Amino acid sequence: MPLTQDVLWYKDAIIYQVHVRTFYDSSGDGIGDFQGLEQKLAYLQDLGINAIWLMPFFPSPLRDDGYDIADYNAVHSSYGTLEDFRKLLDSAHSRGIRVIIEMVLNHTSDQHPWFQESRSSQDNPRRDWYVWSDTDHRYKGTRIIFLDTEKSNWAWDPISKSYYWHRFFSHQPDLNYDNPAVREQMWNVMKFWLEMGVDAFRLDAVPYLVEREGTNCENLPETHAILKDFRKRLDEQFPGRMLLAEANQWPADLRPYFGDGDEFHMAFHFPLMPRMFMGLKLEDRKPITEILQQTPEIPPTCQWSLFLRNHDELTLEMVTDIERDYMYDSYAENKTMRLNLGIRRRLAPLLDNDRRRIELMNGMLMSLPGTPIVYYGDEIGMGDNINLGDRNGVRTPMQWSGGWNGGFSTAEPDRLYAPLIQNPVYGYPAVNVVSQVGSGHSLLHWMQSIIAVRSSTAVFGRGSIDFLHPANHRILAYVRRLGNESVLVVNNLSGTAQAVELDLRRYKGNIPIEMFGKNIFPRVGELPYLLTLGPYQFFWFRLRRI
Amino acid sequence: MAEDTFLTDDFLRQLINVGEVDILVGLPTHNNAKTVGSIVKAIQSGILRWFPRERAVIINADGGSRDGTPELVTSISIDDVRRGPNPYALRTLHSISTKYAASPAVPAAFRTILAAAELLQAKACVVMSPESSSTEDEWISKLLRPIRNDGFDLVTPTYRRHKFEGVLITNLLYPMTRALYGLRLREPYAQEFGFSGRLGGEFLSQNVWDDGAAGSGIELRFTLAAITAQHRICQSFLGQKDHIEQRGSDLVPALRQTVGPLFSALAPDFPFWSTAVGSQPLLSIGPDHELLLDLVRVNRKRLREMFTTGVAELATVFQSILSPDTLAELQRVALLGENDFAYPAELWVKTVYEFAASYHKSVISRDHIIQALAPLFRGRALAFLMEQRNGSEQDVENCIESLCLEFERLKPYLLQMWKSRE
Repeated sequence: MPLTQDVLWYKDAIIYQVHVRTFYDSSGDGIGDFQGLEQKLAYLQDLGINAIWLMPFFPSPLRDDGYDIADYNAVHSSYGTLEDFRKLLDSAHSRGIRVIIEMVLNHTSDQHPWFQESRSSQDNPRRDWYVWSDTDHRYKGTRIIFLDTEKSNWAWDPISKSYYWHRFFSHQPDLNYDNPAVREQMWNVMKFWLEMGVDAFRLDAVPYLVEREGTNCENLPETHAILKDFRKRLDEQFPGRMLLAEANQWPADLRPYFGDGDEFHMAFHFPLMPRMFMGLKLEDRKPITEILQQTPEIPPTCQWSLFLRNHDELTLEMVTDIERDYMYDSYAENKTMRLNLGIRRRLAPLLDNDRRRIELMNGMLMSLPGTPIVYYGDEIGMGDNINLGDRNGVRTPMQWSGGWNGGFSTAEPDRLYAPLIQNPVYGYPAVNVVSQVGSGHSLLHWMQSIIAVRSSTAVFGRGSIDFLHPANHRILAYVRRLGNESVLVVNNLSGTAQAVELDLRRYKGNIPIEMFGKNIFPRVGELPYLLTLGPYQFFWFRLRRI
Repeated sequence: MAEDTFLTDDFLRQLINVGEVDILVGLPTHNNAKTVGSIVKAIQSGILRWFPRERAVIINADGGSRDGTPELVTSISIDDVRRGPNPYALRTLHSISTKYAASPAVPAAFRTILAAAELLQAKACVVMSPESSSTEDEWISKLLRPIRNDGFDLVTPTYRRHKFEGVLITNLLYPMTRALYGLRLREPYAQEFGFSGRLGGEFLSQNVWDDGAAGSGIELRFTLAAITAQHRICQSFLGQKDHIEQRGSDLVPALRQTVGPLFSALAPDFPFWSTAVGSQPLLSIGPDHELLLDLVRVNRKRLREMFTTGVAELATVFQSILSPDTLAELQRVALLGENDFAYPAELWVKTVYEFAASYHKSVISRDHIIQALAPLFRGRALAFLMEQRNGSEQDVENCIESLCLEFERLKPYLLQMWKSRE
């Protein structure tokens, strides 16, 4: 299956997020690798996704799961060789699957040769590649992101006897983007991978590139100028490639990252995700509709990226205090589940392994405006291990079968990079791909089905959204429209059966056709359209004027 | 509309949209446009501040207002009342309104509210008065928290009042319910009160809705029902309650709404109150009550005239109601000069008890009995005002307490008459 030539391919994409290390170990050393991932591309193709987003695979001391890069132009030896990566890329493309890779622009590992040179002497040519200071009193208005770990954004370097700036962990010094040589070097890094054939970058931590006194050092105009320059070069030299922004910000602050369609193609909609969980727990559409109403219009070539869970904690930075307290009490009563300002859990345990809620959340993920991202393992309902430190509990090996090491690796179990989930509910004997492939009603089959339905029309990826406002607040209903095509989506956020009357007069005369079973429903008339929905049920109706 | 379908289809449709709730706030209204806006804001603010996570609804049962009251209730947005450091409302807060078919009267409104509470499975409910200008958002918390958090079934209010406000309560309703039902509940006839869904459901299923006398004072019957069913009851201090000026001609309707239901309840409640001994204090959250002592002008001459005229003109009626001794004593009191006027506690208690017994026996029309009490109550009120004109808060409290004890002491007298007249 060849790749589509459409430059807006990312609007129709369904992205699968995976870490090479976690997916499949082909070499038997206990760590997933490129060859292993390549062997499992058929599985991903069957699932129906058409893009994979690979988490960092570069050489790294791995103190932040690879986001501490020590060499941008190579791959970590645990995952294979650069040639292995090229083969993976080609295989993915041959299956119609695009490849998105991480690019950590903001900082490097303190083990990166650039930093080693920079700290070696104040006269080193690379001294100015990082942000140094004689005092730790600069940029006082800047928040600390990893509050659980860091006390300051400055760290003392005993070698060069000065402070260096870091927005994340202290072993991740920030690059100095005021230095043109740094900007040029980082573009060269991107070019290296683009020339190899990668389709897109997920640019990590983009709000923090530039620092200015008297500001909060986030979202500065100088940062946007740098990003626009990268985009310009991308469009000129590599048309059809894509940039995805990781900027955990409020929608209004995120909007500038799209520019006039000349900065990022896509950006994560961070504030929506916790509100989907909140709406479900509250049984009230209010949190979801409110944040979407606050979401500004974006240029037509741009797209939001939606997700339920990812490799990080379920971030609660973009919620109010009262919402955060509610989320903690609702989803992380056990305090060990909390990390930084978030909840380090996977989708299925967050939803009490309730299949109906898992389906509903995926239904919303697939039908709200944006490109959905599925986190590896969530398609089979994998669990987490909160006893593993940091966010490692949601980064455990993929569970392929009920056999040795869950089919992930032939290594001795104690050589695995992380222990498999073993508890009776989520452990690999109970939750694995092989058993779900063999069961027609498994979550895996259901995910294949919803992805297929979503992919059957461009309306979900490209259409507009009109919210309906039924008096029953437990019902979230909207119409997605693209050209002559309209799809009515009705979600019951409640754990009890609900009746709802929808004002569909605008669609009078249309016949709703339920998109999964393709059954027809009564024609829309002048009167309110009455629907009844079971607990957590949702409908997608194609509205046909026949 | 058939009696068993007193909820309209439109209201039912609105209830379906609301679904199950944790908290229900009932707001009975009839032409309250002047005050209802600020009350709804206080309610919404109270829910936002104190119960941000709970599923809540405001149910307005309106008796056919022509001043836009229901529209006001439903039009006030939660955005209008956001306040404090955490102004965000987690949930949708529904405000729905329905007109009940009966004439504008509290029972139909209260019945509608109870029915809504049952259909929505409300855990905790509160009824708010639509005509108070002093309603605070904290009242929502004070009336609901004991139910939500501590398992009480009924929370009645206490207020900061002027010492001469609520004389009907302090000189009749409170002491009599205390003496008969054995519970020191200061406001048995409350216009703001909280209750559990359980108590609401029980009361809704009781056969009280067709009882004309009870109907007009359904809140009192509700309180008595909670007492007789031995539900957990407490009192919560709300603060200052604004004083609504009442004309003299309002007394008879007030007696119909309060004393009527009390007398009416005595027959069905006889097994309970006839065996209750003494009285027990009630848990009070905050002060038991507070009195304001400002000077107020009282038209003593007018009150005394209404008393003496009533005693003279209604003599034949009183002969049917009162014992000869009590009537003779009242006639003696009526002859006292203005400065010597006194209506002793014992005589007042006997008067009230004899009225209650006659009401039970229906010696004459029950409504006439209630009306006939009006001039005598004015006499008692005059005596109370004169006696406590310069009284301190403690003096007034002592006076009310001694009256209560007199009601308790003479309870056997009521029982004796009750039985003798059966």
